Amino acid sequence: MTTSETTPQSSPVPDSTGPAPRRRTVLAGGAVGVGALGLRVGADRATAAPSRPAARRARVFRHGVASGDPLPDAVVLWTRVTPTPGSTPGSGRGPSVEVVWEVATDPRFRRVVRRGRVRTGPSRDHTVKVDATGLRPATDYYYRFRLDGQASRTGRTRTAPAPQASPDHLRFGVVSCANLQAGFFSAYRGLAAREDLHAIVHLGDYLYEYGPGEYGMGADNVDVRRHVPDHEMVSLADYRQRHAQYKQDPDLQDAHARYAWIVTWDDHEVTNDQWRGGAENHTPGTGEGGEGDYRRRRARAHRAYDEWMPVRLDGTAALGDGARLFRRLRFGTLLEISMLDLRTYRDQQVATPAVDPAVSDPDRTITGARQMAWLKDSLSRDHRPQWKVVGNPVMIAPVTFADLPDALVQPVNDVTGLLPGDGAPYNVDQWDGYTADRREVLTHLDDHQVKDTVFLTGDIHSAWACELPLDTSTYPVVGDSLGVEFVCTSVTSNNLKDITGTPPHTTSRLVEQAILANNRHIKYLDFDDHGFSVLDVTPARAQMDWYVIGARDDRDTAITWSVSFATAAGTSRIEQVDAPVGGDA
Amino acid sequence: MCTPTPRGHCDHHDSHEERPFARGLGELRTGRRTAITAGAAGLLFSTLAGTQVARAAGGADTRRRAYVLVVDGCRPEEIDSGLTPNLHALREGGLRFPRASSMPVMETIPNHVMMMTGQRPDRTGVPANAILDRELGAIRDMDRASDIKVPTVIERLNRRGLRTGTVLSKEYLYGVFGERATHRWEPMPIVPVAGYAPDVFTMQATLAMLEEFDPHLVFVNLGDIDRFGHSDLTGTTLQLARRTALAATDALVVRFVEELKSSGRWEHSMLVVLADHSMDWSLPTQVVSLQAPLEADPLLAGNVVIADNGGADLVYWTGPSSRRAEAVRRIRAIAEETEGVLRAWDRRAEWLRLGPEAGDVVVFCRAGWRFSDPDPLTSNPIPGNHGHPATRAIPFFLAGGHPRVPRGKASSAHARTLDVAPTVASFFGLPSGAALYEGRARI
Repeated sequence: MTTSETTPQSSPVPDSTGPAPRRRTVLAGGAVGVGALGLRVGADRATAAPSRPAARRARVFRHGVASGDPLPDAVVLWTRVTPTPGSTPGSGRGPSVEVVWEVATDPRFRRVVRRGRVRTGPSRDHTVKVDATGLRPATDYYYRFRLDGQASRTGRTRTAPAPQASPDHLRFGVVSCANLQAGFFSAYRGLAAREDLHAIVHLGDYLYEYGPGEYGMGADNVDVRRHVPDHEMVSLADYRQRHAQYKQDPDLQDAHARYAWIVTWDDHEVTNDQWRGGAENHTPGTGEGGEGDYRRRRARAHRAYDEWMPVRLDGTAALGDGARLFRRLRFGTLLEISMLDLRTYRDQQVATPAVDPAVSDPDRTITGARQMAWLKDSLSRDHRPQWKVVGNPVMIAPVTFADLPDALVQPVNDVTGLLPGDGAPYNVDQWDGYTADRREVLTHLDDHQVKDTVFLTGDIHSAWACELPLDTSTYPVVGDSLGVEFVCTSVTSNNLKDITGTPPHTTSRLVEQAILANNRHIKYLDFDDHGFSVLDVTPARAQMDWYVIGARDDRDTAITWSVSFATAAGTSRIEQVDAPVGGDA
Repeated sequence: MCTPTPRGHCDHHDSHEERPFARGLGELRTGRRTAITAGAAGLLFSTLAGTQVARAAGGADTRRRAYVLVVDGCRPEEIDSGLTPNLHALREGGLRFPRASSMPVMETIPNHVMMMTGQRPDRTGVPANAILDRELGAIRDMDRASDIKVPTVIERLNRRGLRTGTVLSKEYLYGVFGERATHRWEPMPIVPVAGYAPDVFTMQATLAMLEEFDPHLVFVNLGDIDRFGHSDLTGTTLQLARRTALAATDALVVRFVEELKSSGRWEHSMLVVLADHSMDWSLPTQVVSLQAPLEADPLLAGNVVIADNGGADLVYWTGPSSRRAEAVRRIRAIAEETEGVLRAWDRRAEWLRLGPEAGDVVVFCRAGWRFSDPDPLTSNPIPGNHGHPATRAIPFFLAGGHPRVPRGKASSAHARTLDVAPTVASFFGLPSGAALYEGRARI
């Protein structure tokens, strides 16, 4: 990488046409239903919505545009250019070029407020990543890139409210676990169709490492679409090509172009069940089947992630200056999102299926000491916003003993890892395998009487709504809860019915009821559906809506509202509510 | 210095000091205040001498009324528990602040003082319930009117010719606010041994004060929820006594609201309903006592005094000032090695804002623990405590029929106890900015 390829040059553009228009009234209502979604869409969507890639620009900007990590005065803008036919992802070939970026307050770019130039080239896989600064809080912006007379599609993004602003509400799309081989990204299509979000939170497993035939749709691993490259990604070129393949999905492109994303990684961005020194799906060494040194592999994965994702690693949009992903994003006095990295610093998972007392070893960690101190500070510092949302890649609610039939233990494990073969209560890959760290977090909430903490979780391809007791044994009597957890299901990755091959809501019902009966703090569980969620937060409550898709191998499958749960401010309790926000059920 | 008298929790009193109610009687005898008996219940009120002059000179024509109701020790989630339907309805109908908090030390006296002054303890001079009075050479409650070093909103309203009233159920609150209000409830006929009046009498007095004097501002402390919480042996689980108190106090609040409505005051009123702190419960096995480990240290032995404030210990270095820095380091180190201690702070830590009255080291316990100093068994035997960060969250909402009171809204703003005074001042059109108050007007 050359310096000239990493230093964006930007300049403010005088705003000659007055203040930016506010987001259209769709946030406050005044909308119409659209298709099977029944979601609200602004009446003038046609003029404001970013357009699909047109043929002329398809050659240069074939990977779309994206934005992320919105601050009150800045947002990360991203694209990738293909200046020559040979400049393919991961190839290391192609010229160094200068790309122009622009930010405007209108979709036709009559009121451009920031503009700059940035060089890119093969050293950074021709990706472009700019931290556009000098923006106004809580404002919609439109952005695009230009190269060789061609312009990218127009993206839209929105800055965060000012630190002391008190927004009436904030609304986020919530997704995780998108396996391209297992189906089409209809969940992303559902989010892109909405006009009422402020951003999208992705909780990890944005892409998968496997090769074709290794992890497809259902028990037979049917590849609805085949991964590129056609083998497990290990090298830097592999990771770049896989990112490039995902970024060409039209539904994903639309969702990126419409909203700023706030992302974290889980394991599959590197490889399955990774921990700080290795991974389940990594074979060390250089011999037969060897995949080399794990940390070097991880560094390559992180490098590609930094190149291809609209995110600030180590607090900057620059490449190669650090891989710290945990960070806070504040949205006025109402809410702050603390995004966790629960892979890079964790100790190795204890062996399954044995119930290993090491799960409670205080010397083992899932967060690492520095991130734990940072998280505790996020939760209890004096000037924190009201709602503390924790972007939590793996589930924190304890899932204790569930008396399941033996025949169902393995299918449940295949999806969630919740139940080792002897029926004991641990998924050692999530916080249940690091109970000392979980206790430290929950005790901290208790010691400081922290209210309104919401863990927003992905990872286990199923939907959950949980309260968070410090002691599950006394919870049925005392009912004390220190926070809540909302778990979104997967975009496409297999869940229980996919593993068992049984019709939806048949076998799974038995499992769900058994877990609910043995874990009173878990209020809702859906093992069978795929889709996305919407988190809506007001000073009075936080509500999660779950939307589910139909067949994963149907690109146009229907999307329907499934269920909603809310937690009232100050209560740390969960109640089901009758309708989703922003649309009809 | 003389040997300080070891003290337990905040409910104790100095045997050689005149207690607040007795001091109040003295004020009546000397004619500084005029006594009036009201109603069939024989409630006794006192009125500042010279009040008639102030009324004549002031602009007391406004029909606005502000009532500050402190549901002492109430946890915010208890409003949602189903036990307090009237408080819940009142909260939902007004402007609520889910992010509200008490301020250190999360005790009754300092937070009531913050409510009425709008200032932090390093300015008010009142950082805790119990302190070491270095002049006196003893630990005492901060129950003297002279303990408050800055003007209260009560006095500011008085100066504008507006009538004020205090109906304070706890003796130390009665003491620390002293003669400031135009009208004061004198709860002598019903003072129980515990040093506070049950809510049924407090509310009776509040209603009688409205009837008799109709003050523009009434400051009321309802102490039952706190007192029953302190003594509830089932607090860690069933909270039987506490739940009873919640329901009973809730019923009294609705009586108050009904009176405002039936008397036509509601449309002109703003209610500020909040707690001074919340409550935490500990088992007898979860007790921290720092006296012994501190005394075991060669430097500290005989040179430290602890003022126990339930969930917070204020530790005072009484040795030579030349060794204070070293002593503070050792006190903090020893405290933080003690099980049940959350954190030991140098009192000068910027965020604490407690002032020198709070000693040299401020030690907080963890949730589910309490301090008992100097004696681990006898100094603080009560299961319910506060003062530590686990008791920081409070209910805080505005209600009432005055047009300035928002209807059915919630705010993510961080409301604090010290916001009460500027809120009241703003309601009456008095200056409420940063020049006078550290708190912020919430209306």
